[in-house]
Amino acid sequence: MQQARSKPNAVLLVLMLVGVVAWLTLPAISVAPNRIVPGTPQRAQEALGWGVALLATVPMLGVATLAWRPFTWHLRAALVLVVGLLAAMPLWLSGVAATLEAASRLGLGSALWLLLFLWLLALIELRARLALSRPLGWALLLPVLLAWWVCLMQWLAPLALYREYQVRSDQFVGAIGQHLALVGSAVGAALLLGVCLALAMRRRAGVRRVGFGILNFLQTIPSIALFGLLLAPLAWLASRVEWLAALGVSGIGWAPAWLALLGYSLLPMVRNTFVALEEVDPAVIEAARGMGMSQRQVFLQVRLPLALPVVLEGIRITTVQAIGLTAVAALIGAGGLGTFIFQGLGQAAMDLVLLGALPIIALALMVDALLSALADWLRQGGTT
Amino acid sequence: MIELFDVTKRFGEEVAVDAISLRVQKGELCVLVGTSGCGKSTTLRMINRLIEHSDGEIHLDGQPVRTFDEVTLRRRIGYVIQNTGLFPHWTVARNIGLVPRLLKWPRAQVRERVETLMALLGLPIEEFAAKYPHQLSGGQAQRVGVARALAADPEILLMDEPFGALDPITREALQHELLDLQARLHKTIVFVTHDMDEALALADRLVVMRQGRIVQQGPPLELLHEPVDDFVASMLGGDARGLKEAALTRVRDRMLPLGPRLLAHERVAVDVPLNQALSLMLWHRVDRLTVVDDDDIPIGELSLRRLVGSKA
Ligand SMILES: Nc1ncnc2c1ncn2[C@@H]1O[C@H](COP(=O)(O)OP(=O)(O)OP(=O)(O)O)[C@@H](O)[C@H]1O
Ligand SMILES: [Mg+2]
Repeated sequence: MQQARSKPNAVLLVLMLVGVVAWLTLPAISVAPNRIVPGTPQRAQEALGWGVALLATVPMLGVATLAWRPFTWHLRAALVLVVGLLAAMPLWLSGVAATLEAASRLGLGSALWLLLFLWLLALIELRARLALSRPLGWALLLPVLLAWWVCLMQWLAPLALYREYQVRSDQFVGAIGQHLALVGSAVGAALLLGVCLALAMRRRAGVRRVGFGILNFLQTIPSIALFGLLLAPLAWLASRVEWLAALGVSGIGWAPAWLALLGYSLLPMVRNTFVALEEVDPAVIEAARGMGMSQRQVFLQVRLPLALPVVLEGIRITTVQAIGLTAVAALIGAGGLGTFIFQGLGQAAMDLVLLGALPIIALALMVDALLSALADWLRQGGTT
Repeated sequence: MIELFDVTKRFGEEVAVDAISLRVQKGELCVLVGTSGCGKSTTLRMINRLIEHSDGEIHLDGQPVRTFDEVTLRRRIGYVIQNTGLFPHWTVARNIGLVPRLLKWPRAQVRERVETLMALLGLPIEEFAAKYPHQLSGGQAQRVGVARALAADPEILLMDEPFGALDPITREALQHELLDLQARLHKTIVFVTHDMDEALALADRLVVMRQGRIVQQGPPLELLHEPVDDFVASMLGGDARGLKEAALTRVRDRMLPLGPRLLAHERVAVDVPLNQALSLMLWHRVDRLTVVDDDDIPIGELSLRRLVGSKA
């Protein structure tokens, strides 16, 4: 057992060595006297001195050393170190913040972003090697999030990202709400419509050909173009139909965004539902019919439950895709987190862009994790 | 009783089953054999109306199958297929209880029936009831398939290559179990197989099909001795038919009582088929065997002359 595992874990080794090099050579932070002036980049050793900078490389080298002989307990120790590293980053930043003047703004430099990325990859690798369960994997992030939260509350006021948030905390919550509402309603409608379409396609080859043709075509239109295409007809509709206008439908805003999202969501939804239903083992269906189940019973008790994990996979893909697309929809005034991204781009304020982008990534990851877990749970019924 | 009168099935232009007539008596085990694509499965599936026949009539106990509601009809007919078709998301117990539940039996009665069947097919309840199909071996899964087909105690059982995917030893064990079951339950069975040894071992009536037609039907020995043409002869084993026939006769039927002669040294059990006895003679290079009973006590003798001698 130990013999078999004693080959060095190359993934961890590379991640950590790249991390050390990045930490010592790339700018770790940038400091600006105010919001408009671009910050001056600083490397780690310039910010808090060589001592601290070198000290920070110790855990990374430690993980690399442990990864050289990856026994189970070595990997466990490495896991603790990586979680520690992730939790220590806000503390180090707090130390930097303490040296700054009150009005200055602290931005994260490329080294820190890269390190965050590398350490999270290391965490994923360790989770897989140690075969930790999904909930345990998430629990590992708790101390990290706690550390960030405490530091933000206490010492990290100069962090530019946090400043941007503070100025707009109400807007921020509203934007998340809008974002989720758009995604949720569009994906929900796509699910309903998609299932109906998939069922109709199973019935008739004609519907299948035409349906997939249209959906595939929709998918190839770039999202911006689709928003543009929807502008004129919706504006026309709103001017003709009063209650639609009263609902807030117009050429721009949530209505075209919602329609476009629906359009893009339909293809993955229909395709997955259709394939899921079609690919149920024909022998199982034959047996179900042969045993004397009615068509309805075959569908509800056999075909549908066996297709469900794949349908769920479709919902997952669609939702993650819609979360990203909704960001673009901010361009036509649909609201949501994309608003910050485009405002930030307009003002050349990168931190504002991040304020929009980071939650979008987090949302996508969360939805992905939740729906994967649900699919796993469904599969436990023995369908594997 | 199942009766087919000039039954034809066309898929578009193609004639899959061509005007076949067949009668399977109650309690009879009828085996369909034939080359691949000759219409065996189609014939079977027309009986439970998974496929509707194009022409002719199919009767169950004198009633045309078309007069039954197809769902009701299928619940009265057990159906076993090669890949078991067990529901992967249901436990073994739930799979077996399917038809009784469809028939709305009371819950306690369903449970009791499932337990009876699992016992009947040698599936210990504690071990198997809660398992899922993917946790079973091929042989176990096939037993569950048979149990499921028998669950509502149907008079008729349709089996489409049920043991086709199993290794020879498991297959033979299940064949014996099927014969045991049949001796107790007296179902009317139509059984499709590719394996001629299996067909000969099981059949009361053997039906040889070719290109949608029945070439010959009758008791296995009759077909062995008097094949109507070369096709049937080669289906039944060609020059190996002698051994196939020997496999159908037991030592018991050919042995002589113990005579005054010395006991032969090599022994053979009274219940084994003649082909095994012949094999023993070939193996030991002898022409005489002592026949022993289950307790290894000599009760007769079998000579090569007797073995090859008069026809049964
Ligand atoms: N649903 C169907 N549609 C069209 N043709 C079919 C259909 N089912 C069967 N056939 C055709 O009918 C013929 C008989 O098929 P069947 O499945 O009854 O053969 P079989 O004797 O069971 O063969 P095998 O031993 O390979 O299982 C074949 O030529 C097959 O292609
Ligand atoms: Mg077949």
